[in-house]
Amino acid sequence: MCLPLSLAAQQNKLTVEPVKELTIKPGGTAVETLRVVVEPSFHVNSDKPKDEFVIPLKLTWIRGPLETEYTHYPAAEEIKVGDQMLTVFTGAFNIETEFKAPESSTPGTSMMTGKLRYQACNNQMCFRPATLEIRLPVLFQ
Amino acid sequence: MTRLTGRRFSVLIAVAAVIIPLCSCSGSSATRAASHPAKERKSAPDFTLRDANGSLVKLSDYRGKVVLLNFWATWCGPCTLEIPWFIDFEQQFKSKGFEVVGVSMDEEGWTAVKPYIAQHKMNYRVLLGDDSVGELYGGVDSLPTSFIIDRDGKIASVHVGLAEKNEYIDEIENLLGAKQARSSGSSVRHVPAALVGGAAK
Repeated sequence: MCLPLSLAAQQNKLTVEPVKELTIKPGGTAVETLRVVVEPSFHVNSDKPKDEFVIPLKLTWIRGPLETEYTHYPAAEEIKVGDQMLTVFTGAFNIETEFKAPESSTPGTSMMTGKLRYQACNNQMCFRPATLEIRLPVLFQ
Repeated sequence: MTRLTGRRFSVLIAVAAVIIPLCSCSGSSATRAASHPAKERKSAPDFTLRDANGSLVKLSDYRGKVVLLNFWATWCGPCTLEIPWFIDFEQQFKSKGFEVVGVSMDEEGWTAVKPYIAQHKMNYRVLLGDDSVGELYGGVDSLPTSFIIDRDGKIASVHVGLAEKNEYIDEIENLLGAKQARSSGSSVRHVPAALVGGAAK
């Protein structure tokens, strides 16, 4: 199991629970679920914010042997801050990614590396955008 | 590693004394504000940044005016709530010796900031900030963070997080009034009620 590593000096308003090893067969697919927790009283922007200037939450797999088939984010909540309606995530939620292994994969272990970028606020203030590094161990059967 | 000169070190210590007690609490949901009596005020650290036209602007150029120095970003919802107030303040108080100076902390730079300025019809000067200026003011980890600076270039109050519009108005009017009291020959320096006591809210 690996813990995500914070890349940016920031106050962690969002954490990702430890990631379990993903087992996959050559040519096969598998779904990895990231459990994300936002600190109480805070929110992070959803993956599809309404305001063009707002920074969305985004998971990007940047390195590793697997292809990303899709990334699925949960339904966002709508909250009102002042006159603004925002689409946000709060509390604990899941982000799913379906991966596909190359046919040429050989048995053994490897690592996928991803980045989760987010920007957190509460009703009074916002914190600068931050990025968590996600490391996902992969076991090829 | 750059060595700090004695003067720069003194400024850092002075600003830290104002800001660190606020920033250490910034993880809570509460807005933080602190006001300081005139005699206890520390100098606002000077900096030079570029505005949207590419001109270099020094904070010390505003000496003699009351300045609302607002650290903000285009992605910051609470900042967006305050900006219409600042537009009003600029219109209402400019002729009395007041200026709003916005310092954007957007990492994307003018690409993000210029369209925002246009869309929100911001009528005051906006500068593009950087980490080094942020550090001069305690890191500015949370936005909005605003400093009300008196005519002598000293920090009269600090607001971390969304503040009350009337609180700003009271502070600005009191600081503008302080100038009038001095120039009229009064030996009594007008210290605004809101700035006496210096306790964080």
